[in-house]
Amino acid sequence: MEVDFALIGHPESWRAAADVLAVLRGPQHTPLPDDEIKDILPWIPPRAVCHVDAGSVTGAKARGLYIDSFIPPDRLESGYVHENIARVREAAAWAIRAGAKIVSLGGFSSILIEGNFDHLPARHDTVFTTGNTLTVGFIVQGIKKMCALEGLDISRSTLLIVGATGDVGSGCARCLAPMLSRVLLSARNVERLRRLAAELHADGVEVEIATDLRQFSAEADVVICAASLASPSLRLGRIASHAVVCDAGYPKNLSPRTEMPGASVFFGGLGQVTGGLRFVPDFRGILNRHPFPDVVHGCLLEGMALALEQRFEPFSQGRGSITPERVEEIETIAARHGIHLAPLYNADGPVEDGRHCRTEWSRG
Amino acid sequence: MTGELLAAMNYTSLSEICDEPAEVADALEHAEAERGHAAAFAAEGRKLGVDVANNVEARHWKRLREAFMRCITERDFMGCLIVQEIMLESFAVASYARVGKVAPGSLGRTFAAIAAEEEEHIAHATAILRTERGSDAPGFDEKVYRLHLDVMTTLARMLAKDCRDGHCDVCDATCVKPSLFEVSLSAAELRGASLRQYLKTLDMLGIPGEVTLAWVAQLPV
Repeated sequence: MEVDFALIGHPESWRAAADVLAVLRGPQHTPLPDDEIKDILPWIPPRAVCHVDAGSVTGAKARGLYIDSFIPPDRLESGYVHENIARVREAAAWAIRAGAKIVSLGGFSSILIEGNFDHLPARHDTVFTTGNTLTVGFIVQGIKKMCALEGLDISRSTLLIVGATGDVGSGCARCLAPMLSRVLLSARNVERLRRLAAELHADGVEVEIATDLRQFSAEADVVICAASLASPSLRLGRIASHAVVCDAGYPKNLSPRTEMPGASVFFGGLGQVTGGLRFVPDFRGILNRHPFPDVVHGCLLEGMALALEQRFEPFSQGRGSITPERVEEIETIAARHGIHLAPLYNADGPVEDGRHCRTEWSRG
Repeated sequence: MTGELLAAMNYTSLSEICDEPAEVADALEHAEAERGHAAAFAAEGRKLGVDVANNVEARHWKRLREAFMRCITERDFMGCLIVQEIMLESFAVASYARVGKVAPGSLGRTFAAIAAEEEEHIAHATAILRTERGSDAPGFDEKVYRLHLDVMTTLARMLAKDCRDGHCDVCDATCVKPSLFEVSLSAAELRGASLRQYLKTLDMLGIPGEVTLAWVAQLPV
């Protein structure tokens, strides 16, 4: 079978892993107890889990594979980095052996394989994309949409980006900074923060940087959480009471215990396929656990969109090279094939009707 | 040790359905090697003052032997290789290798050396089986699945973290599983390593990974 694209991912949570294993076991077998799942998952070698057929509104079709690296959700910390790099490389080798023409790297996969592309097995005609450019596009679209829904004038807003020096964070900064009055950049590496701030400042943007969120002089009313966190542990602390907050992490960034009464929180970076999406076996709603059909993370959708476009090229690679022009280019490609921003939602459900926007943030 | 004796019996049985003298010699050589492994384990036990238990009539082992003998009855050479080399040896290689890493002195060296030898057996069989699969992949995969249901279900029960159906008749109710932590191992680790080795061996045969993943996910725990 010809494989146009491959998607490499890993379970976001133990619940997600349990659901995948439950589908694999089938309805005739009882679901595995949680302790067995935690015992078994770390031993599963990376491999294809299902076939993915993507359709375009133009009528084009692309065939793909979802390959799971099976990184256990509690082993994303730096202590497991070598083991996890080996897993992603093994998953990449699967994609190459399957003859995938383009491979999208989901979640931590792109971070882990960054700088290791040259160490992959002979790639023949397989190219890799981190998918981060389309992720940035959907985050920015989501912020604009949410601000409009909430009546927030984005041009008068102060933007805070957590994880600002990452590929996604810096891409969001470049796209949004020119539209805002002030930008607050937060990350762990102060040198990278300074470089990004200088770049934005040269474009006339007022920028403040800090490695500690408590150091900022102003309250943000637009927040993007794009840090590479191993678990949802981020507490934003002081932000405007009416803030729009986009959690674009995979796994999610925001701690379930963070309190932001009045803030409008949504999960960002997600797109929806309107030309048809099929998983064989049927993993709908299992691999893409969202309250709307055919919603997928932007990073994975980038590879699908490029496959539908028959543009097998490493569209997003490296760190810090995402520009507004590249974002516009991939958004145009995606839109041509009916891949658009997904309806906005958060842990409480859909947010676009306003019912869940201003509830006290809790992730249950 | 029971596993090694069972393997020796299996290879001896296999020699009886081989047509070519070279195949007969090869099977008997394998049987002898497996007997050697059993003797090596018994010798290591004597050094420690332990009488290594063995019972090829124990219920799980008996089922595994019966599964192999069904292939013999059908004169199914490939089926025999799949049961012995792909399924049973995957478990042997993975568990011996892990014990080889933690056991001290000659005991560890013996486990590690036998794991390496068994791995060679797997590589040899895999080459033969890959060629066989090349002529009829769907039929081959169906055969492996049928044997998987029979053999791997039994192996999975043997390797369950707890012996839920009572003890296995080898240990005489002195099950080793609860003591594994004393040598920084666990039943879950041995089972995980074994299933991982099995999946990788199936990968080497060319059976699609998404198919074998479902097979393994459906095993009892």
